[in-house]
Amino acid sequence: MFKELGLMALDSLRANKFRSLLTMLGIIIGSATLVAVLSLGNALQSQVFERFVDLGTRRIAVLPGDPQARGARDVPGYGLLSIRDYQALEQLVARHPDVFRTIVPEVSLRVQARAGNSSVTSTVVGTTKDYQLVQTVPVMYGRFLTDTDDQQTARVAVLGALVAEDLFGKENVAGAIGRTIEVNGKPLQVVGILRQLGGPFSSDQRILVPVSTARLRIAGNQDLPGRGLQMSSILLNLQSERMVERGERLVTSTLRATRNVPDGVIDDFRLNLPTQALGVLAGINGAITGFIALVAGISLVVGGIGIMNIMLVAVTERTREIGVRKALGATDGDVLSQFVLEAVAISVVGSLIGVTSAIALVALVGAAAGLGVAISWVAVGLALAFACIIGIGFGYYPARRAALLLPIEALRYE
Amino acid sequence: MYHDTEYLTPVEVTDYVTEPVVRIEHVTKDFVTGGNLFRALDDVSLEIHRGEMIAIMGPSGSGKSTLMTILGLLDVPTSGTYWLDGQDVSALNRGQQARVRNQKLGFVFQNFNLLPRLSALKNVELPLVYGRLGAREREERARQALEAVGLGARLHNRPNELSGGQKQRVAIARALVGNPAMVLADEPTGALDTRTGAEIMGLFRQLNREQGITIVVVTHDPEIGKQMDRVVGLRDGRITENILQEYYHVGVATEELELPGRDPVPVPVQVEQQG
Ligand SMILES: Nc1ncnc2c1ncn2[C@@H]1O[C@H](COP(=O)(O)OP(=O)(O)OP(=O)(O)O)[C@@H](O)[C@H]1O
Ligand SMILES: [Mg+2]
Repeated sequence: MFKELGLMALDSLRANKFRSLLTMLGIIIGSATLVAVLSLGNALQSQVFERFVDLGTRRIAVLPGDPQARGARDVPGYGLLSIRDYQALEQLVARHPDVFRTIVPEVSLRVQARAGNSSVTSTVVGTTKDYQLVQTVPVMYGRFLTDTDDQQTARVAVLGALVAEDLFGKENVAGAIGRTIEVNGKPLQVVGILRQLGGPFSSDQRILVPVSTARLRIAGNQDLPGRGLQMSSILLNLQSERMVERGERLVTSTLRATRNVPDGVIDDFRLNLPTQALGVLAGINGAITGFIALVAGISLVVGGIGIMNIMLVAVTERTREIGVRKALGATDGDVLSQFVLEAVAISVVGSLIGVTSAIALVALVGAAAGLGVAISWVAVGLALAFACIIGIGFGYYPARRAALLLPIEALRYE
Repeated sequence: MYHDTEYLTPVEVTDYVTEPVVRIEHVTKDFVTGGNLFRALDDVSLEIHRGEMIAIMGPSGSGKSTLMTILGLLDVPTSGTYWLDGQDVSALNRGQQARVRNQKLGFVFQNFNLLPRLSALKNVELPLVYGRLGAREREERARQALEAVGLGARLHNRPNELSGGQKQRVAIARALVGNPAMVLADEPTGALDTRTGAEIMGLFRQLNREQGITIVVVTHDPEIGKQMDRVVGLRDGRITENILQEYYHVGVATEELELPGRDPVPVPVQVEQQG
């Protein structure tokens, strides 16, 4: 019986193809939006946002402690970070590969840089090749720093986009590779130039050099008494966003131990955690997803109203048919099921069209943008389930009107 | 008034020996239109016996169709009782009525009322769909029914590919496919030319004679009335005539009408000469 009704429903869709398609439009758009947005949502979150706003959701930054903080001890060099802290954390990272991916030093120096007649004030950052994993530093020309650079204390530099423009002129940026600049009077060869990102946290105005080069060739004496090279910050890259809390605990205990912070005394360093960034990101993502889901929802409901309208028309048009079916023994339930199923067929077929287009669209966008996007099957299920509910919900009233027609009145209808 | 009195000896039927398929008693049907009450059927009592073929005749507006809808459980009487096939069907709920229509009644309409998007076969299968029969058996029985009305070669044609007479044959097959206790036909030849109408009536007659199907036909045509076992006359919602013609058919005109012989219909125990 159910099969019979299902076939009847599909048959009546086929009988009014164009009308059915128009009716489905709302459902098609709603379903497609839902699937596309929820599928692209993750990719948007991890790729697009992080690219433009360097939020570093998998990064713990260790920063010097604030000597002005309440509870800070009054000792010379309070709170400063050194290579000893770095080495202790390096061991920690090696011991916990499940939590940490890598560790990167950051030695920052204010310097004067020159190329020919041009001169700018800039910041040199001494770091390693893994800097790419904790900061957004896309290379536009040339290459990034390598381990060999660091081992050989190579006289090389990677320039931020604005530094390169200031030193060589906007048009000559590409030709700057291989040229020599002077940083605090020391010659360095330009091996790479970064793409411009904009924003206060970008490396547009920085000069990146191997950490050994920064220490031995540029800094002069940057060592803290008895503690070795001073570092402006230490960056740790986590395996995933879920490791933030564990990473924080491990880093804190390790640093307190190496730095001999007695129990009950506040940390003499600061940790910059991505929790807030993650929160902001989740908030933005949630707001956008929510907004579009709302649009999708409205579209589905509007689609539902369209279905209700067309079903009311169908019931009127087919009053005689209803009368005939009832004369032949169709019960109220049979007629109700027939029309509800017809409404569900419209909405589900519409939803299938929408979902299919969305999957194609997502695959296309993914391929074009080079994002690794996965179809959100939850969204597909959601869209189809929603379509079913809409079909039943908005099909019920017209179907009920059909079911409650008196056989004789339906047969007499002209 | 619908008979050729030269040959006919009309008799008023008052009682039968056998149990009737249909018994309605004191059935009244009122319609309210624009605040006015209109009595379309006024205290109608009637019995119809198994294997009978009856014509309901009367002027336009006399209540023929109204009576048919009540016999067909398509409408409920304002008052009165109705037994169908031994069951009191006066007070059934909608679901039970649908079931009785499906199992015990077959309908043939003036305008065929076939579903245009379905093939002849699928149209005939419909009552069996609502009777919850399996697909195989449905198709088999629908095919047989169509073959019985001479449309074995038109199973897969849609109604718009069939002539009027063929459409009405499909409708008859649809009415018969569920083995009903009674077939109701309201002016089944009304939309057909005389010749095709005669063919359709011949088919009804054949089905009645060969398979003993009880048939009630509404007609305006005195020629059709003549071929019936009995004619019930209606006027202003009342039965004015109830005339058994079987003596005529059996005794005189059987050969003349070229109807195959059959068992005699139940014999009235009391016969009155019409006044
Ligand atoms: N639904 C209705 N509402 C109001 N009046 C009705 C309704 N159905 C029938 N009638 C009235 O009842 C009377 C009998 O109608 P019915 O259709 O039974 O006549 P009929 O004998 O079949 O006539 P015809 O030969 O023209 O088909 C008519 O006067 C008609 O106007
Ligand atoms: Mg009528």
